[in-house]
Amino acid sequence: MIYAHLFLPLAGLLLVIFQTSVLNIIFMGRLNVEISLILVIYAGFRMNVLRWALLSFLLGFFLDCATGSISGLFTLIYVCIFFISVLVSMRVYAEQISLIIGFSFLCSIFEGLMIVLFFKIIYDINMLGSIVQVFLPQALVVSVLSPLFFKLFHFFEVSFHDGNPQPAK
Amino acid sequence: MMFPKKYWTITLASLLIMAALIMISYHAAKQDSDTGFFRRLVLEAAWPLESLKNRSLKVLRESWGRYLFLIGLEAENRRLRKENHLLENQLVQYREGYLNALRLRVILKLQEQFDTTQVIAEVIDREQSPVFKSILIDKGTAHGLKVGLPVLGDQGIAGRITECSWHISRIMLIVDVNSNVSVLLQRSRTHGVLQGTGAAGCRLKYVPKTEEVKVGDAVISSGMGGIFPKGIILGVVAAVDRKEGGFFQRIDVQPSVDFGKLEEVAVLIPRKDGKP
Repeated sequence: MIYAHLFLPLAGLLLVIFQTSVLNIIFMGRLNVEISLILVIYAGFRMNVLRWALLSFLLGFFLDCATGSISGLFTLIYVCIFFISVLVSMRVYAEQISLIIGFSFLCSIFEGLMIVLFFKIIYDINMLGSIVQVFLPQALVVSVLSPLFFKLFHFFEVSFHDGNPQPAK
Repeated sequence: MMFPKKYWTITLASLLIMAALIMISYHAAKQDSDTGFFRRLVLEAAWPLESLKNRSLKVLRESWGRYLFLIGLEAENRRLRKENHLLENQLVQYREGYLNALRLRVILKLQEQFDTTQVIAEVIDREQSPVFKSILIDKGTAHGLKVGLPVLGDQGIAGRITECSWHISRIMLIVDVNSNVSVLLQRSRTHGVLQGTGAAGCRLKYVPKTEEVKVGDAVISSGMGGIFPKGIILGVVAAVDRKEGGFFQRIDVQPSVDFGKLEEVAVLIPRKDGKP
């Protein structure tokens, strides 16, 4: 069990580095495919709250460090999204693909809005134009890819727990 | 338990959100301060991974670059081969020009000693008979040449003109059996006649046995006979035989000019006042 506690943060760091560097190279810096966001949503839907809340916090912090943005911004966003996902998963059946797509889209837009808001508050930079140019395409990509990554994460989860995944909430 | 189980989630969420907000506030308050400890920790932890990624990407990029390079390699190879042939040809031409210049410089230096004008001509053909040794040059009467004029090679006297057309002349070389040149031995000042012996070279005739002749003595033109200017080298003594019957020694002379390699010659034309 101790290995899991050590492995998951390291895997999270790897994931963040992968998405901020390798994927950026693949998509030539035009699209940010935020796999970590999909992971946070997946964790909120299906995983242990205590452990994955902390991991979401760490993922956000890693992303803050990797992107060089405001310290705590992605941390806050990921924690918020994680708990929103937990709340949503308590009230609806979170296995539907349409729900996954729609919810991922909304979370991605929420992330964009939070970034715009905090940049306005802290640096007084107006990033409203970025919502359409950057965050909307990003949200579309994330939402389209989310079912695929949900399946992938599920596969890893099954492998990790020796074929006994945690039941969906 | 401090909290009932149903409040865990809310408490945890509140704590984490508070922590994130504190981080944001701290960042907002100290924007220009040093990088925080935890941030440094993450950056340090990411460094080996980033390094590994960069190295992998570099290898990938180089492999791709090499692959692209290989695609164009054959065409480039063909182009380079062609270019190489062209350059080799050019190099041969330049080398040839350089050697020509060297030879001509030697010939011109030789002529500077005499009060003559000279015509540089190119050897265009050779007589290959064992005894009759002559060459054809690409200059004739149109260039001011006439029968009897002396011809120099790069190392000394080559022969004299025996036939002259408008644009071609025949040179009888000093190794031709019909060639006789009045010479003297440079060291002993002994006079003699250098006669051609064909492929064997030349023989110095009419040198009495009383004269001391050594192998290696230079044989130069005596200036008598009115054809060759005085003091130009013709060859060196290769062998001396005093035992032969008669009054004279048998002296073999090695011509200084290598006729097999003769490519350019200079014809000396005397000025109007007479002697070459």
